[in-house]
Amino acid sequence: MILPKFDYKKARTVEEAQELYNKYNGNAVYLAGGTDLVPLIKLRLFQPQVVIDLKGIDELTGVRKTNNSLVIGPNTTLFELKQHPFIKDYLPCLFESLEATSCETLQMRGTIGGNILQNTRCLQYNKSLEWRTARGFCLKMGGSVCNVAPNSKSCFSNYCGDNAPSLMTLDAKAKLVGPKGERTVRLEKLFSDDGRAPFSIKPGEILKEIILPFKKTKGVYEKLTVRGSIDYPLVGVAVTVKNNDAKVAVTGIGPSPRLYELKEIDEKSINDVADWACEDAKPVSNAVLTPSYRKKMVGVLIKRAFKKIASGGSR
Amino acid sequence: MKTIKVTLNVNNEKIILQVKPYETLLETLRERLSLTGAKESCSLGSCGACTVLVNGTPVRSCLILTPEVDGATITTIEGLKDKEKLHPLQHAFMEKGAVQCGFCTPGMIMTAKALLDRNKKPEKKDIIKTISSNICRCTGYKKIIEAVEEVSKTSG
Repeated sequence: MILPKFDYKKARTVEEAQELYNKYNGNAVYLAGGTDLVPLIKLRLFQPQVVIDLKGIDELTGVRKTNNSLVIGPNTTLFELKQHPFIKDYLPCLFESLEATSCETLQMRGTIGGNILQNTRCLQYNKSLEWRTARGFCLKMGGSVCNVAPNSKSCFSNYCGDNAPSLMTLDAKAKLVGPKGERTVRLEKLFSDDGRAPFSIKPGEILKEIILPFKKTKGVYEKLTVRGSIDYPLVGVAVTVKNNDAKVAVTGIGPSPRLYELKEIDEKSINDVADWACEDAKPVSNAVLTPSYRKKMVGVLIKRAFKKIASGGSR
Repeated sequence: MKTIKVTLNVNNEKIILQVKPYETLLETLRERLSLTGAKESCSLGSCGACTVLVNGTPVRSCLILTPEVDGATITTIEGLKDKEKLHPLQHAFMEKGAVQCGFCTPGMIMTAKALLDRNKKPEKKDIIKTISSNICRCTGYKKIIEAVEEVSKTSG
């Protein structure tokens, strides 16, 4: 598949990247690993005038520990991050979601920043231009109807990131740098819950850091897929337990991951959160498994995750 | 669009090229350098048929823009043999019959080579995990795993 025409620019600093973004009047995309972006451009879902490569920006790479937090550079590849000695011992939920992401080769190229900021997916959206033209453009492509649920005015595309939910259960924050300076927000605030534009990031803003409290936790990540490798989650459940409370995040259904908190960890609370998350999940026929099965699996995976944590096991 | 000058070291040969900014590494290898070992299959990064090594790391060359890898060392399946002597992995794939239609083979071998370069004696589960990056539509995985195991057993 041939790429459409665009310019390529490599930025050395965040400021340079943003200058380039402005120079092209925002008709630009930022490139990190490219494992999500390049297929989207190939399918003509994005047609930028310029691709701005962020891999030359040193300050966006690497993991460092400060007094009580872990600061992750968004250009760190998923594979590097997975092998970082702190991750497996202290943040097992994140380790498991990194391990479950796609496959080793793509983990070596894909970055944590790009993985968090991947576009939402839908069986009606991630298709070639010819296919989409024949079918008629949906809401996410600028059309007037959703091709999955024709009476709906909102987009049901699924956020399929594996790592954002586990980072959310670990109380991660995102530091963004934009034309008006820096801002730090809780990771869940990055999501707009609108499938058409899934992130509440301002034009030109760059994810600069992911900041995690550095504390020993217990956790697991459970993922429903058809194949054992390469697949996106059809449902993903991240659970992190700290002291006597827990956080649960559900991904793979709808435009943003959903976060739940448990103040106590007993059978009743676990069943309640499983029922609640299952009730909350509104899958539609836009993935390779049926909506009713995916909905039911939300509860199943949450209970399974807590069972695994209780037995001290992992994947 | 202005072309971009890139310097690549491909299979131990320094090459200077003027490439299009939207040209993938796979296109450069196949169409400019006639290195047709890496295959285009899904073109979206799912299958791994286009896997080559960039500075020793396996990558999907269909997802990489050639200007991104300016200055890098690229190894393709054509660069594995030592003069006329096949690489042990190529030999083991032949011996074990790990090739059916052969379309996935270059990608499989490059992925396996990267594994053996970082871990000389991988366990079977590590081989399976690594190989699961690539798709073999003939589903001949068992023989492929055996071939990689064979090399890991016999290597020093």
